[in-house]
Amino acid sequence: MIEPEQTDLTLGFIPLTDSAPLIVAKEMGFFSQWGLNVKLQKQNSWATLRDKLHAGLLDAAQMLAPMPLASSLGLGCAKVKVITPLVLSLNGNAITLSEKLHQEILKENNLVHVTLPLAAYLLQKVISVRREQNRPKLRFATVFPYSCHYYQLRDWLASANISEADLDIVVVPPVNMVAFLQSGEIDGCCVGGPWNAKAVRAGIGLTALTSFDIWQDSPEKVLGLLASFQQTKPNTVIALTAALKQACIWLESIPNRFEAARLLSSDQYLDASVDVIAPSLIGSCLTHITMPPRAIPSYNQFSKSSNGSINVPEYIRGEWLISQMRNAGQLKNIEVPADLVRDVFRPDIYQQMRLKLEDQAVQFYRRSG
Amino acid sequence: MIIMDRKDSLQHIALSKEQKNVIAELRILLIDENRQRAESLTSALNNSRYKISHLVNPDMSLLKQVDEIQPDIIVIDIESPSRDILESLSTISHYNPKPVVMFSGEKDTDTINQYIESGVSAYVVGDLQAERVKPILDAAVARFREFQKLKVELSDTKQQLASRNLIDQAKRLLMKKKNLSEDDAFKAMRKTAMDTGQKLDDVAKTLISFLNTI
Repeated sequence: MIEPEQTDLTLGFIPLTDSAPLIVAKEMGFFSQWGLNVKLQKQNSWATLRDKLHAGLLDAAQMLAPMPLASSLGLGCAKVKVITPLVLSLNGNAITLSEKLHQEILKENNLVHVTLPLAAYLLQKVISVRREQNRPKLRFATVFPYSCHYYQLRDWLASANISEADLDIVVVPPVNMVAFLQSGEIDGCCVGGPWNAKAVRAGIGLTALTSFDIWQDSPEKVLGLLASFQQTKPNTVIALTAALKQACIWLESIPNRFEAARLLSSDQYLDASVDVIAPSLIGSCLTHITMPPRAIPSYNQFSKSSNGSINVPEYIRGEWLISQMRNAGQLKNIEVPADLVRDVFRPDIYQQMRLKLEDQAVQFYRRSG
Repeated sequence: MIIMDRKDSLQHIALSKEQKNVIAELRILLIDENRQRAESLTSALNNSRYKISHLVNPDMSLLKQVDEIQPDIIVIDIESPSRDILESLSTISHYNPKPVVMFSGEKDTDTINQYIESGVSAYVVGDLQAERVKPILDAAVARFREFQKLKVELSDTKQQLASRNLIDQAKRLLMKKKNLSEDDAFKAMRKTAMDTGQKLDDVAKTLISFLNTI
């Protein structure tokens, strides 16, 4: 076993379905197996989660995949070196439209019902009719400037040659998303679970497509921590990464996923009903109150995909995120160091952790004869 | 839900326009779910140049409020989910940047403070004591303005440097490929710029791509 330099840790998370690895590691005792006493601290905004991590008030955190890169570049914050030794999940987001926009799409395209996943070109008519009638532009929401949600939304719109000039894109915290859809403040959003399912169950939205329909198997959430923390406490980071990797493996089984939904639903975590947490975890995308769910087996991925293990923070994943940030115009006038991705994405730490996990498995088999 | 109803906040704006010549009034958008704290801040700022529009539960109206009130400064609880909305105002949406003052009940406020992009925002401790509020807001506004000025100067300087580099490069290419003296090369470029009504660096850019292909 490994001896962590620091055993008491505080981890930040945002209450979302894909915070499952952190909650499972805590509740199923994986952290304690590695000698860690972890406190999970719920955060209300990504910006505050980031600032607390930078200031050392959080030892590590569940982050949006582009965030460690944004921190290291000093985008929207002071420049602080943040690394990721582990990808926590793939996919998991969806685009949900308000019922009003759903009806507008049907009307302007002379349709009786929509086919899912919804093609973005169906929005073209709505946009041009609104323009002719001098009505306000459509307004879509995403959760953070440096998020896959934002890039996925842009890509979906771009597939129909709809640019950001044709509509407004704003940031809305996930907790407010459903209320905003209902009030008409926004017409659609790209957000993670359980918020899409919540909007559908409440009859106020149509989940048009999932992020898996836009990008297949891209990293969504990662474990983020300060480079300086890893330098002074390498064993702690290995133990932390190992416990989370075990939680990800545990989450591979569908029966376990339902149990995870029950853990997540408690008020100290998501404070939401299993009704809206479980579907995406077991591969079901709720679509509309009058329509059947879609089967999306990869809706939430925590450990494996058809391409093997997903948890390795491979450089190519980082390069892909950088290209997305560049396409979104977020790197204008920003000098991107050539070794940025190598500094931030750390498969070397992942490999060290994997060896420790194998050691532990060998010892376990020896003991059990 | 907005405590102060729309009519009131509009009156504020009307009033502030009238008074503009007398004192430079600063509009504050306060985002705080703690009503009591909000009220004590409001009373602490009575008879000052700061005028507060208070949002209790900012939900949907935050963007609208920013549009309508056009606040000079935003004050927000660091634990509010709406922080992410503010974060995006200058990155995704194209709002003018605003100074943001955040307050936090945490003891480690000073630790967080060092990590916030300098000049953009400052943290205030949880108990907003009347005598501390004004100097903190004054400092935040002053720092923000200074920072914005520096930013504009920096981008101007960068721009100037970039165009000087372009012009130099085009001049050297002309000298080499067309056998011109430095003076003649520059005069030729200046003439083209004047004849075609283009900027000198645009002429340089066209020249560079043209001369590099022949």
